[in-house]
Amino acid sequence: MYRYDHIDQTLVNERVAQFRDQTRRFLAGELSEDEFRPLRLRNGLYIQRYAPMLRVSIPYGLLSTVQLRMLAHIARTYDRDYGHFTTRQNIQYNWPALERVPDILADLASVQMHAIQTSGNCIRNITSDHLAGVAPDEIADPRPYCEIIRQWAALHPEFSYLPRKFKIAVTASPADRAAVEIHDVGVRLRRGSKGEIGFEILAGGGLGRTPILGKVIRRFLPEADLLAYLTAILRVYNRYGRRDNIHKARIKILLRALGAEEFTRQVEQEFRAGREFAPSLAAQEVERMRGFFAPPLYQAIDDSTPAIGTSSSGNPAYDAWLRYNTRRHKVTGYRVVFVSLKKHGEAPGDMSGEQMDALAGLADRVSFGLVRVTHDQNLVLADVPQSTLPGVWRELDALGLATPNIGTLTDMICCPGLDFCSLANAGSIDVAKQIHARFDDLDYLYDLGPVEIKMSGCMNACGHHHIGHIGILGVDKHGKEWYQITIGGSSTGPAALGEVIGPSVPKDQVADTIARLLEVYVRERLGDHERFVDAVRRIGIEPFQERVYETHHSAA
Amino acid sequence: MRRIIRRRELVADDARYAGEESAPGTRMVQPVAQFIAALGAGQASGSAAAVLIGPADEVEVLAPHLARLNLIVVEFPKIGEGRGYSQARMLRQRYGYTGELRARGAIKRDQLFFLARCGFDSFDLDPAEDLQASLGSFNDFSVAYQDGSDAVVQVRRRAGAA
Ligand code: SF4
Repeated sequence: MYRYDHIDQTLVNERVAQFRDQTRRFLAGELSEDEFRPLRLRNGLYIQRYAPMLRVSIPYGLLSTVQLRMLAHIARTYDRDYGHFTTRQNIQYNWPALERVPDILADLASVQMHAIQTSGNCIRNITSDHLAGVAPDEIADPRPYCEIIRQWAALHPEFSYLPRKFKIAVTASPADRAAVEIHDVGVRLRRGSKGEIGFEILAGGGLGRTPILGKVIRRFLPEADLLAYLTAILRVYNRYGRRDNIHKARIKILLRALGAEEFTRQVEQEFRAGREFAPSLAAQEVERMRGFFAPPLYQAIDDSTPAIGTSSSGNPAYDAWLRYNTRRHKVTGYRVVFVSLKKHGEAPGDMSGEQMDALAGLADRVSFGLVRVTHDQNLVLADVPQSTLPGVWRELDALGLATPNIGTLTDMICCPGLDFCSLANAGSIDVAKQIHARFDDLDYLYDLGPVEIKMSGCMNACGHHHIGHIGILGVDKHGKEWYQITIGGSSTGPAALGEVIGPSVPKDQVADTIARLLEVYVRERLGDHERFVDAVRRIGIEPFQERVYETHHSAA
Repeated sequence: MRRIIRRRELVADDARYAGEESAPGTRMVQPVAQFIAALGAGQASGSAAAVLIGPADEVEVLAPHLARLNLIVVEFPKIGEGRGYSQARMLRQRYGYTGELRARGAIKRDQLFFLARCGFDSFDLDPAEDLQASLGSFNDFSVAYQDGSDAVVQVRRRAGAA
């Protein structure tokens, strides 16, 4: 992974000092709340429902075990001994004291981490594929480019006071596990006609109250122009994005107002005019960056071990875990292991300090000391030798991190909702628990195949509900928590926004509504292989609407 | 006496704006529209004019006239206003403006480092700001990942990069 040099370290240290002084001025009354807000936000600090919330950046989801242990230490020392992994490969702490945040940042800096630009109207954490570097289907490792963009975006003097937040995602795989179409800018690695690497650039995607998928604005951008082109996009956005209405300030609204063609023309014009002053990306620099992400020293492992799923170990729990929570690795003899943070009874994405420490120990022993964070609020051990899997399973199981539900209905995405977030209309964590309780029969879940549920407590859509196969959105109805259900959304292949099935349902009927949707699916699906979302695409939403609203549902 | 920061020193504010009385040692700063209109009417303003641009003004319209200007004041009416950073960057880099470039308005010391990197060299801050204490903020960072107009920080040099 990337390692800080003197410049990187100095920068985060100086950022800690700067924020310490800003916090001091606020506590001393020298800065008003209005003045402090944009300063604390751009360092990931929100004032939440009960306490401040601090969001820490995990660039493109990659963590060393030294860093994971520090996250555990912070959870224990400054919080209530847990952290919450988000859909954007960050971690949030829900209970830090404002006065101690500078100390937390200093602890983070000591392990090459920070909270820079994890919130506020600036360029946010660069996200990517959680299987980068090990996925058999990628055209090259996207992480060197992620790190190059991260550095370019960090404390950017021109683009730190944008109209609104700005999210960039990078993918190198056709499966697009980074969901680049729902980002302000999406970068897709491509190979040119001579085999050289370049990029397809998308712009204007985003969820929130106006969900829009990004448009391709450049089919093939040469590698050297990556930062110059991003500079051009950001400059056009910084100059012309709306600033009069927070709900119309994202780049997607600018792109829609101008039309994709005119927007693209303006970006290309700015790109040509500004290129000579913009940073160009030298091949040596890419090479140097690539060195940081070189594959670990894999052992040559003979591949005579039986293929996963073809034989039974005699332990059904282990077999289920192997089948659902592990994935193929591009190197023979290795396996990708998912660490499920979706245990029944726990808030999705939450992890205790003790679990983090234990997982760090395990990763040191079996996965080269690295851990990844996914968009689905799980973790990944990316490079596990197949021979160690039974032991890995036992350890994860003992930690409550081996629920064999990856990719199934209960592998839900869920924002913090009403329990923590001051913007929420409705709770999401207890609805997740309701769904877990209702669908606790693993065999039924396995029979259903992949169904992605995504849930947000309000229109800001932190839980990405629009792109859930089943999306759940909390709405406030006369002070009561109700839920609007969408179906048919998808983050990939191709991405799609879900359709609202009808009037929202009260809290106690969410799981019941999902059960009805699934009933229709089981009745209608073609064979065993048509997924829920494909069935919705094929037959439309009407059969589902009919079933959900046919009887007692108190529609409103 | 109103004071501003110019090249990291506190000096008297020499600028007066529409609706303010001029005083000895001060100069009037015209709104950009007025400046352009006067040029159009043939009332050339010599070679040392001062203009004020707002966030929505296009710096492109000033480009042909930069030789007539030795002060451009960029207005930041609200906390969080960010267009001025791009205006400054374009004036300095693309159009090669070398005169005084001033940021004025709802800005605190916390913005000084970025403003200076973008090419501003004088600063008319929020009146509540402690100017003396603010001078330290130019040194908030000694390193940067991006090129900037002031050469005081160590910039990450990419091998072979521009
Ligand atoms: S979706 Fe709404 S409720 Fe959920 S975390 Fe985001 S802002 Fe808060």
